Amino acid sequence: MILHPSIIALLTGSILTSGMLLYAAVFAVQILRHWDLSSGSELQLQLERKTYLISTLMTYALGFQLIALFLFIYTANSLCSQLIGAMCAVGSLKANQWGYPAVVLQAVSFLVAGVWLVVNGADNRGYDYPLVRKKYLLLLIVAPLVMAQTIVEALYFLSLKVNIITSCCGTLFGANVTDQSGNLLSLPRVPLQIAFWGIFAVTFAAGLAFCLRGRLGWLYAAGSALFLPVAIASLISFVSPYVYELPTHHCPFCLLQPEYRYIGYLFYLTIFTGGVAGLGTGVLLPFRRIPSLAELLPSYLRRLAVLGLACYTVFTVSAVVEIAFSHLRI
Amino acid sequence: MIDLQDIQKTFNKGRPNEYVAVRRVSLKVEPQLVTVLKGPSGSGKTTLLSLLGCMTRPTSGRIFLDGREITSLPERFLTEIRRRTYGFIFQQFNLVKGITVLENVMLPAYPTGERRAVLRDRAMELLELFSMAHKAPSKVEWLSGGESQRVAIARALINDPGYVIADEPTAHLDTALSREFMEIVATLKGRGKTIVMASHDPIVCSEGLVDRIVEVRDGSLVSDGPHR
Amino acid sequence: MSAVERHRNILDFTLASLMRRKGKNSALIVVYTLVVFVLASALFFTQAIRREAGLVLTDAPELVVQRLVAGRHDLIPTAYLEKIRDIRGVTGARSRLWGYYYDATVGANYTLEVPLEAPPPEGSVIVGEGLARTSGAAVDSLMPFRTTRGEITTFAVSKILPSDSSLVSADLVLLSEKDFREMFGVDRAHATDLAVTVRNKKEIPVIARKIAEALPDTRTISRDEILRTYDAVFSWRGGIMLALLAGAVLAFVIFAWDRAAGLSAEERKEIGILKAIGWETSDVLLMKFWEGVAVSLTAFLLGIVAAYVHVFFASAGLFEPVLKGWSVLYPRFRLVPFIDFPQVAALFFLTVVPYTVATVIPSWRAATVDPDAVMRG
Repeated sequence: MILHPSIIALLTGSILTSGMLLYAAVFAVQILRHWDLSSGSELQLQLERKTYLISTLMTYALGFQLIALFLFIYTANSLCSQLIGAMCAVGSLKANQWGYPAVVLQAVSFLVAGVWLVVNGADNRGYDYPLVRKKYLLLLIVAPLVMAQTIVEALYFLSLKVNIITSCCGTLFGANVTDQSGNLLSLPRVPLQIAFWGIFAVTFAAGLAFCLRGRLGWLYAAGSALFLPVAIASLISFVSPYVYELPTHHCPFCLLQPEYRYIGYLFYLTIFTGGVAGLGTGVLLPFRRIPSLAELLPSYLRRLAVLGLACYTVFTVSAVVEIAFSHLRI
Repeated sequence: MIDLQDIQKTFNKGRPNEYVAVRRVSLKVEPQLVTVLKGPSGSGKTTLLSLLGCMTRPTSGRIFLDGREITSLPERFLTEIRRRTYGFIFQQFNLVKGITVLENVMLPAYPTGERRAVLRDRAMELLELFSMAHKAPSKVEWLSGGESQRVAIARALINDPGYVIADEPTAHLDTALSREFMEIVATLKGRGKTIVMASHDPIVCSEGLVDRIVEVRDGSLVSDGPHR
Repeated sequence: MSAVERHRNILDFTLASLMRRKGKNSALIVVYTLVVFVLASALFFTQAIRREAGLVLTDAPELVVQRLVAGRHDLIPTAYLEKIRDIRGVTGARSRLWGYYYDATVGANYTLEVPLEAPPPEGSVIVGEGLARTSGAAVDSLMPFRTTRGEITTFAVSKILPSDSSLVSADLVLLSEKDFREMFGVDRAHATDLAVTVRNKKEIPVIARKIAEALPDTRTISRDEILRTYDAVFSWRGGIMLALLAGAVLAFVIFAWDRAAGLSAEERKEIGILKAIGWETSDVLLMKFWEGVAVSLTAFLLGIVAAYVHVFFASAGLFEPVLKGWSVLYPRFRLVPFIDFPQVAALFFLTVVPYTVATVIPSWRAATVDPDAVMRG
């Protein structure tokens, strides 16, 4: 176990966020069991008031998750100096089997919590709580995800072992020193480039059609769902070497470092915000015909789609700019 | 028109201290008239008033506002309707201390997201109407009872509601000020507002401009009829 | 009509409300600021010291070879140098002379060292700023030392190391090889340890293994390992500090919760009025959110700025003794100002997040007052 200030902060944050979600989940169960809009009973009034609390808790949780995601990567990065063979976050995360699951869980729970808030925003527009059951069922997925993330994160930090000098010997021969610099993945470059541009073009066109005509929503949502993983893979495979100006460096995390003008923040913020907007659109599409939403949902979805498109465009343009102005030529 | 159909309001339902504040009341409030709910304290007229004003949801029964059922609307919609439709005047005036008269008048419109400058102009107009414009920058603590009342009325009108609901508006006013208040009510009626008041003040009840007096006792309507 | 204007209007009202209750809110802000200040100081201090150690070590040799006798560090024969130079990948090896000296008159330990480059002329020393201040040494004054044979020998101070150089040089005494050997009675065939430079950093483990095989009575320490150890030790110290301060955070959170839950009758009535005149629960929640942002932002910024000044300009006077260690020679030194996103984010999770979580339920309770409460009351 390493008693690092950031680790204490991250664990505190995760435990508090899990606590908030657990609290919210308890009320979600109550709402699922006792919800009856036609009743004017005090229980129903109580439950309706609780929905405000749950929205607030979820909004805070999402904000905390976003900051935690970046702090987690940063912490992994700074831990590498204490772990043998680790050159950056990639190595630190490989130090035990919990590192990568923790990152993935964090990203997934952020996305699902974001989609929850999008659904919540739509539900709040209908005068008869049209999505209330679906929303709280979804909450019952978010809460365990965040709790699982907290546990995996704790396991990761608790089972880290520092390699420090002991009095008996200096260099530790026992540790298998393998070079774990940024060579996370060497994905095929050309097929990925084709996939990236293809998906970007399709998503962009479908999104535009959806914004202007309200059509091709499904295509846009499917494109968004694919864009997220493909954008991350592209970042690792063919964007990052240009940023680092090193053909062999593919680290997805070093992008966040000051040396690279914090460009990673822009990349990941646009990918994840776009992901939430795109997935949210997809999740809400089937509910366009609900009477209480029919009037308001289309404009809400259109705004979401505009946000998603803006994010994808900013991501793509900044990636192209990075590549164009890089001194590296492959 | 506000239409209450078979409304019941029970507090602490299912508990030993259960009590029925309003029982099976049906009542229609006609637009552009002055209606007074009359009755002793504890008769349920305040609860009835808050049901009419969409502040409380009934335990059973249905409420229609201008033909649209609003009984089980979620709070955020009900509040929006309430904000647009009703202006409230309270017995204690209920001005927020520590801020100016002008800000107090603007307060109900803050959540609507209207531009501040527009809001300010409208608030000043209203204060002008009640000859309170010169007090706009002063803190509400320094106002007399009559002045507070007029600020409270200006505040009730900031969102230009069709209905004005007043709970015992003259309880804290002397005779002269009570008469002055009724003059303001006359002005409002003249501007096409529907006015509902809960009061047992003879000055209010005997006023000629009151169109209808509804007598409430123990949560039920006792008598209902046109004035005089 | 827009969401932005709604935020603006409500924010305006919130700020005005906070100002109206200045007395009450300033108590909270003072305590909040204090908590941020203490945590931030601990964090900045350990991080800066950790960084400092790293900077110092950038000049250290990549590999150090020490001789062990019965598990204890002992003088190493300089004849080993040849054997090491023969190993492939080694670009150079030099002997180093250094040690500690306890000055009974000052009551402090000095680090004595023969610099590899540009040693002072025989009979003179270069001393660190901290040492110069404590012992009252100035340039050209004489410093007495006691040799291992019990004699007193004096050196002229030829230079004082500049004060802006870091922590490690404060207790440093640099002297010539001849003086060092005479003072400690170390013969020419021995040295304290050997510094080895290598061609390729990646070969360090391999070379270290070869040295260990060729010279079984030695141990090798690489610079990376020292760095790693420093890092771990300083992070650990920072962590321990934070863990100890958890009590303070907890007390603060309970205080904040209590204050948020125990809304004054006046505030409760005010929220009741807002609800009655057409504010909705989420409007009041928004107001409470802005209130939290205003309070947290004020306390957070004030606390961080105060901690920054405390650590980097006032030399962390408050807990220097706890964190810095053993020597009495470090009363005044300056850390290089250093602050980054992880530190701020960590502070955010340790102060703002607990505060927010503690106040969210009380705020919600306050916001869900029935709109007709003012009429009933």
